[in-house]
Amino acid sequence: MPPSQELRRKAVNFKKGFKLKLEPEEIRKLEAVVEKATDQFTVEVAEKLRGLRVALNDVANSQIGADQAMQAIRSLSLEIKGMGGMFKYPLLTAFAKSLNDFTKDMGVPTPIQLDIIAAQIDALYVVMGNRIQGSGSKIEMQLLGALEEAARKYRHH
Amino acid sequence: MSADMADHERIDFSKISFLVVEPNRLMGQMVRDVLQMLDAQYIDRARDFETAVNVLRMGRTDMMITEWALNQEKLGRDGMDIVHWVRNDGGSPNRMMPIVMMTANSEEEYVCRARDCGVSEFVAKPYTVNGFYTRLASAIARPRQFVRIGEYFGPDRRRRKVDYAGPERRVEAV
Repeated sequence: MPPSQELRRKAVNFKKGFKLKLEPEEIRKLEAVVEKATDQFTVEVAEKLRGLRVALNDVANSQIGADQAMQAIRSLSLEIKGMGGMFKYPLLTAFAKSLNDFTKDMGVPTPIQLDIIAAQIDALYVVMGNRIQGSGSKIEMQLLGALEEAARKYRHH
Repeated sequence: MSADMADHERIDFSKISFLVVEPNRLMGQMVRDVLQMLDAQYIDRARDFETAVNVLRMGRTDMMITEWALNQEKLGRDGMDIVHWVRNDGGSPNRMMPIVMMTANSEEEYVCRARDCGVSEFVAKPYTVNGFYTRLASAIARPRQFVRIGEYFGPDRRRRKVDYAGPERRVEAV
């Protein structure tokens, strides 16, 4: 059936508004909106990293509530994954993705899985603590590779 | 419409009423700020399923932008449940509303699930503002036809037109 044209009729015209393909200057202005929020991003991520540490501690120290704490780890890592790259922190996104993928279908983690989760959270702290924008240096890439390898190896152990 | 005319089309965002469903404070604010920069005047915000549906019931929303992962403590319902509500619930005021899903659940399996639930456009987080704008503009200015196939009701999931010699199983009208 044909799509509803109601919104198109309401908003699309030949005189006022933005073209379907933005001009470079318009893109720059929109990007400036994101850049302006970089300080808030830093505060927000710091809060989420603290949340990850608390959740990790909860998982490590109690069997009761471990499921909820694992859910918090999944949820916080997903949020960090979605934010990092927007604010020029793709490495943060990569580490957060690694943590989220690793914990996705995990129940209560084994001691070695817990160690890997702790290392992944430490890596997120390192990226933010050192303000590592872009993809990082060779060392960070090697660390990411090593954590991903460990995650692959111990996901089901 | 000729390609030349299409090149001159503009979107007046001040005419569109948006609902942004995003539990993350900063990301919700980013979407709102970008929309305001585009001159959008009417932006409702929600952080969970219940609030979103209450806003939708008012019938003033033209377009919804929703995150997949919402506040789980409230009934455990997520962005996909809202999409399903818009497309299928008898109380939905606009079942053909354009819906953009933005999520860090960006792997192919999630894109397919979102598409099969009836989203119009999918934006993977982290996104670029230009990428976001392109999806937004496409959903507004290039709406796809709707289909009902079995239990699915939503935009046509085939983006490319291909010759198909098999039987037509689509229902043309509801």
